[in-house]
Amino acid sequence: MSSLAIYGERQSGEDVRTQNITACIAIANILKSSLGPVGLDKMLVDDMGDVIVTNDGATILKQLEVEHPAAKVLVELAQQQDEEVGDGTTSVVLLAAELLRRADDLVRRGIHPTNIIAGYRLAMRESCKYLRDILAVSVEKLGKSCLMNTARTAISSKIIGSEIDFFANLAVEAVLAVKRKTEDGKYKYPIKAINILKKSGKGARDSQLLKGIGLNVTRASQGMPLRVSPAKIACLDFDLRRSKMKMGVQVLVEDPKELEKIQEKEYEVTKSRIEAILKAGANAIFTTKGIDDAALKYFVEKNAIAVRRVAKDDMKRLAKATGASVQLTMADLGGEESFDPSFLGSAEEVVEETISDDKFIFVRGCKNLASGTIVLRGPNEYMCDEMSRSLHDCLCAVQRALESNYVVPGGGCVETALSIFLENFATTLGGREQLAIAEFSDALLVIPKTLAANAALDATDMIAKLRAVHNTGQLDSNKGNLSHMGLDLENGHLRDNLEAGILEPAMSKIKSIQLATEAAITILRIDDLIKLKKKQEDDSGEY
Amino acid sequence: MFQVPVLVLKEGTKRESGHKAQLGNITAAKAVSDTVRTTLGPRAMLKMVLDAMGGIVLTNDGNAVLREIDVSHPAAKSMIELSRTQDEEVGDGTTSVIVLAGELLSVAEPFIERGIHPRTVVNAYFKALDDAIEVIDKLATKIDPNDNKAVNNVIASCIGTKYMSRHKDLMCGLASTAVRTIVAEVDGHKVIDIKNYARIEKVPGGAVEDSCVLRGVMFDKDVTHPKMRRKINNPKILLLDCPLEYTKLESQANVEIAKESDWEALLKQEEIYVEKLCNQIVKLKPDLVITEKGVSDLAQHYLMKANISCIRRVKKTENNRIAKATGATIVSRAEEAKESDLGTAGLFEVQKIGDEYFTFITECNSPKACTILLRGASKDALNEIERNLQDALYVARNIIIDPRIVPGGGATEMYVSKALGEKAKSLEGVIQFPYRAVSQAMEVIPRTLLENCGANVVRALTELRAKHAAGKETPWGVNGQTGEIVDMSQYRIWEPYTVKVQTVKTAVESAALLLRIDDIVSGISKKKDEGQNVSQPQNEEE
Repeated sequence: MSSLAIYGERQSGEDVRTQNITACIAIANILKSSLGPVGLDKMLVDDMGDVIVTNDGATILKQLEVEHPAAKVLVELAQQQDEEVGDGTTSVVLLAAELLRRADDLVRRGIHPTNIIAGYRLAMRESCKYLRDILAVSVEKLGKSCLMNTARTAISSKIIGSEIDFFANLAVEAVLAVKRKTEDGKYKYPIKAINILKKSGKGARDSQLLKGIGLNVTRASQGMPLRVSPAKIACLDFDLRRSKMKMGVQVLVEDPKELEKIQEKEYEVTKSRIEAILKAGANAIFTTKGIDDAALKYFVEKNAIAVRRVAKDDMKRLAKATGASVQLTMADLGGEESFDPSFLGSAEEVVEETISDDKFIFVRGCKNLASGTIVLRGPNEYMCDEMSRSLHDCLCAVQRALESNYVVPGGGCVETALSIFLENFATTLGGREQLAIAEFSDALLVIPKTLAANAALDATDMIAKLRAVHNTGQLDSNKGNLSHMGLDLENGHLRDNLEAGILEPAMSKIKSIQLATEAAITILRIDDLIKLKKKQEDDSGEY
Repeated sequence: MFQVPVLVLKEGTKRESGHKAQLGNITAAKAVSDTVRTTLGPRAMLKMVLDAMGGIVLTNDGNAVLREIDVSHPAAKSMIELSRTQDEEVGDGTTSVIVLAGELLSVAEPFIERGIHPRTVVNAYFKALDDAIEVIDKLATKIDPNDNKAVNNVIASCIGTKYMSRHKDLMCGLASTAVRTIVAEVDGHKVIDIKNYARIEKVPGGAVEDSCVLRGVMFDKDVTHPKMRRKINNPKILLLDCPLEYTKLESQANVEIAKESDWEALLKQEEIYVEKLCNQIVKLKPDLVITEKGVSDLAQHYLMKANISCIRRVKKTENNRIAKATGATIVSRAEEAKESDLGTAGLFEVQKIGDEYFTFITECNSPKACTILLRGASKDALNEIERNLQDALYVARNIIIDPRIVPGGGATEMYVSKALGEKAKSLEGVIQFPYRAVSQAMEVIPRTLLENCGANVVRALTELRAKHAAGKETPWGVNGQTGEIVDMSQYRIWEPYTVKVQTVKTAVESAALLLRIDDIVSGISKKKDEGQNVSQPQNEEE
């Protein structure tokens, strides 16, 4: 061990780099087979025996519980991509790992990591620019079918890929249903307004898009009406149970009579609260907390629906859509308790509906914000879960295509085009970066290569053909559509993927190149790894 | 190159991938389907499952068997989920779905081994599913849901495969009466909430023939005080979900008593409170008070004096059912009860059956909830009868909501098989092989029926195939009792359309889900988040 007094291990130099990179490649290898329209799924089983079946890179990595620190960077990378773009989580990991593998070779050849990093950065910037300026095609130019195609591409690799048209349509309709104009005249498609409910039963085809917000809750009492219309909605974030003092507060009374008064008061406080809410005109009351059984009758009498234990997220969505403001307390400035009618949101109706064996509450025709609910059906929970993940990716893709307004042809087309471009670009540079950029250019090809390999095609052969086509396309600007050539994985030859409708949002591609490069650079910069040992003696005493 | 092996995943994680994972999944699924295979059809046998607690379950309900079995293979787990879904969605066909899904996977095995891409197989399956549904759609005929005989016929086909097949008519009667009682019309379509409004109450003893559907509800409670009336004609009923006793405060309140008289006052106060409560109830003049919570001795005394019978601690669901049956509103504070909250029934009676008291509230005026009283020899037998009846209830519900039926006894499956087989010829490319495999897999239902009744499987199945191939519209199927090939329209075995379609859909989709898997990672620990939380404070220390 080194002379430095560290309670732990220390590794440095080439050892640590090689190790990091091997770990990253191992991660990529796990994901490899799930890429592309002919990729397969993974089944993940935790120690409780719960099963997840998925094709989504981010989900796989999240569940895998990766231990290696460098590999963790990649896991986070996939998560990042999932949050920012929502789609392309697998490809971003593959790309980052490939970049690292090639960087490792360069380092072995004696090129300093900083040179490689500079080269990678430059390549990334150039390729993003090229992608944005030359390769991207505007959505308007392609018309409405382009949205469908983007959706189709996003789900083609997933379990719902067999019902591709059905779900693509579902996704596009859902996203368009939540269209909203912002103040500066742009359109926004907040996919958070789309709620996905899962219920096993029936078939995937029986999934449906419903208007309004669906909540997986039921009326608090059977005596309440099944439907109120028009609905005035109160969103509460406090208890409607018998009020009690907070923890640890004790009331000391001398006179037993007082006890009765306290009891009476406990009832009265809740009762007056409910009455105030009902008086304000509310006929649909949602609360994140509980409602006392004893208090339900007031709602029943007024023909109002009361719903307890609504999830916080659902509540936020509901408040946003109906224009209600979530009330934390009923105290007003005067020190009294009151409920202002302006806190109420409105919707055309609130109904309870039965799907399969379960009951759901739907809020339809919300005042402020259009919203949709997709109810997914499937043979069992695992499938429903996977369907919801897939659909989420798809919704994201459609949203990105609409908001960024640009799409690029998929199927390895963009990567090959960029690779050719970078190769040519590299030769114009004199410095050591040239080598790094050339490697970057080669690394991009990992996507078409993996796609071809998963489809059991001869990857080397296909890539060579694809490169040749793109090269001609870039040299001779007259043959413009050659730059849209990509792989046709079902039949195993090349085709114009723009025409075939294999489209991905340009923004997703740009983001994934950026994120992958950044992650690769982060790992490349590491030349020292210090692992501290846990102090075990201290632990036992504390926990 | 020399280097230390890099551990990326946590130690103890097991990974299986490629062919091994795929074939492993198929084997596991087949094992599950083999378990329940013999419980299909009228010659089905029961399974006896010993659960972890030492209790026994005697059943031939696919879902009930699988629920008790503890499997470790993830794919098998996924299969077991299927029968649960089927049970929740349509209530019947839980065995068929498992058998069919298992068969669909096992016919896929040769394709995987031959190196056909799972995606191709999956695509073919989905294509076949669409076509199969189309065939079933065409085959379905409508019956009149108000025609008792026709509905009973369908229920009888379902019961025919069960333990209770001897009492077919009785069960049909129970199921259809119960479902007709609780059917409600909402916004133009029928809603039948079996879970909440049709309760099955099992009382060991007596004979199965004594089972009946009550026009009202029944539950295992007795009046709180032995001197209260046990039989009231045309009672007025008050339903409460609050206690009739002095309740403690929600807040922590302590009373410090300095004087002796205060102590007395305190006790007095409690008494006064209960008295006040009871007086308010007495004022409404109900004959019967039922509450979900407790009733103190004092309150019982007051109520008894007013000649009011009282029952305490009924379940929330029970109370809801009583409310539905009698038209009462459940009152949550005795002070606020009104005359209009009271409900009525024809007869209130407490009967002693065997060793226990049971309360009957019957002869209700157009009740919207009911209790089905089941009698039978032993508890285990009753449990199985209940499961049978549950299936029958769901079938009755399905048929009243969607009155389409298809021929049973494997006839529908043979139709589908034949149609798919013909269609396969017109398909181009590799896809036609897995597509044809679906057609073969459909035959598993008639085949299993034949196997279970001990017929000559090969001969009978060939005959059945030939009869279907002749192209006549007659729905030939298997007589599950004798193993003969009979005309289902004569033999009168019909199944609800919804059940059949659900079975096919669920089976195909789940098979597709399992086929798509090429990697199984197990042993991931779940307590990831907690682990991080614990480790954080340590970092700070360092």
